[in-house]
Amino acid sequence: MRARRRAAHVAIYATLVAATIIMLFPVAWMLTVSVRPNVEVMKIPPDWIPAIFTVEAYSKVLRSSRYLKTFVNTYFVALAVTLVSLGIGAMAAYALARFRFRGQRAVLIFLITTQMFPLVLLCIPYFQVVVTLGLYDTLTSLIIVYVTFTLPFCILMLRSYFAQIPKDMEEAAMVDGCSRVGAILRTLLPLSYPALIGAGLYTFLLAWNEFLFAVVLIEAWDKRVLTTAIYSLLAEFVTDWNTMMAFSVLASAPLVIAFIFLQRYMVRGMTAGAITS
Amino acid sequence: MEQDPRRHEVARSFRRRYRQELQAYGFLWPALLILGVLMVYPLLQVMRMSFSEVTLQKETWVGLDNYAQLLRTSLFWRVLWQTILFTAGSVSLHLVIGLGLALLLHAKINIRFRNLMRGMLIIPWLLAPTVAGMIWVLMLAPFGVANGLLISLGVLDLSVTFNWLGNPDTSLLSVTAMNVWRAFPFFMVMLLAGLQAIPDELYEAADIDGTTPLAKFWYITLPGLRGVIATVVLLDSIWTFRAFDPVYVMTGGGPMNSSEVLATAIYFDAFQKFKFGYASAEAMVMFLILFVVSAVYVRRAVRDIG
Repeated sequence: MRARRRAAHVAIYATLVAATIIMLFPVAWMLTVSVRPNVEVMKIPPDWIPAIFTVEAYSKVLRSSRYLKTFVNTYFVALAVTLVSLGIGAMAAYALARFRFRGQRAVLIFLITTQMFPLVLLCIPYFQVVVTLGLYDTLTSLIIVYVTFTLPFCILMLRSYFAQIPKDMEEAAMVDGCSRVGAILRTLLPLSYPALIGAGLYTFLLAWNEFLFAVVLIEAWDKRVLTTAIYSLLAEFVTDWNTMMAFSVLASAPLVIAFIFLQRYMVRGMTAGAITS
Repeated sequence: MEQDPRRHEVARSFRRRYRQELQAYGFLWPALLILGVLMVYPLLQVMRMSFSEVTLQKETWVGLDNYAQLLRTSLFWRVLWQTILFTAGSVSLHLVIGLGLALLLHAKINIRFRNLMRGMLIIPWLLAPTVAGMIWVLMLAPFGVANGLLISLGVLDLSVTFNWLGNPDTSLLSVTAMNVWRAFPFFMVMLLAGLQAIPDELYEAADIDGTTPLAKFWYITLPGLRGVIATVVLLDSIWTFRAFDPVYVMTGGGPMNSSEVLATAIYFDAFQKFKFGYASAEAMVMFLILFVVSAVYVRRAVRDIG
């Protein structure tokens, strides 16, 4: 009996390790291709370990001011979207968590429904409006558009967290002479930092990885973001695989590193929407 | 000027009566304004355009012409069918792989090991769909590592390097495979959280009764996960049905539309063929289909929120 349980135990570990190796193979392949010379990429049978190790591709990306600019653009857009969504989202979430008011249910239904929108539907009118307003080829247009799909998520996630925090703290602060906004800033927000980090990280991820609107609304190279810049490598220089993969590694690294440190909050953010009650 | 005292009274009673509303909407208005302007207005715009012939200069009302043309076009039906295949394939495999891994992670294993494995397995989900798509384009190229592996295993012959993305029979399959790989961690994480929410007492009681593992899975685990499974399947169906990046990056819908899905078809009709009216009609059809599925989700979500 004990031997059987032990065998089952070993089998679980072995299966998990095997599954992880298989699932991470594409990521590992991206890493090894990024440190190969380009001639070594397409080879049958493949070299599992690069025969020649080179950082030529990385230096190509990091020395190109054009590519570096896309990093700056992406950081700027993702941070701006995160701050705006968290700020406006926290206000709306507060209203939904703390007040009982007419139209509350309608607002909730509206927020949940907006998350189901086919984004490609919004592309056509956005394109026309952005062109009319003279915002084509600007990062502002991207920030505005991204907020539309990150905001509902932020509101819903923060709402469920705020609702779990007792009102007493804010009320005590208000009795002590704080204004309502002061009470929120001093008691509710500091207590809600896990939700703020979780929602913020997820918003940042969505904005960082977005592609469709970046294709539709941005053309100029100095306004491109990472996803469109990497894709244009595929379209323009079909064979430059090592540069493309080095670029991909550099583009993914910030998220993976942030995730390693903030895994708890992120997982919380992912599950918050679905496991309510 | 003399103030009318009654007016003052009315204003005060209005404020008292709607105090909650005034406070709530005082916090809500920026969000509602943004979403109203950026979601509701464009939706009405697309609705109008779907009844018009649109060029960049002018719009002419054509009634239901765009829709009539759409329903007569066999390519539209094919694209719709491919979108359904892509969605059904992705979602069902996400569920199978996600549930399998969640069960393994939920087994009695070392906590640090569990967190490490969970962390590593989430990585595909962190990558941009664009990046994930590019990795797979590289791997599936005729001289790429996928064929290399199959040749080393003796499945393929060196002389016939297979072009996964360039062959109409395998292009949609390849894109689906990439999408399965990229998004399974979402299911894994959600289902693991769902498993952890099932009370241990249920399993302990079953152990005392000498229940088999399979019966425990069937009578305790699956019913306990029902809510989470319904939620993630609905959400993923909606997300996959509207997905654009995987197809656009990997195949551009080709070869010969064999991997085209609704989102890419709408994009190409609008921004390459400049048939904005026709594309708007397509988008409206997509919207209506998603609306029906969403209605199911929204009802569940609102009930949960209470």
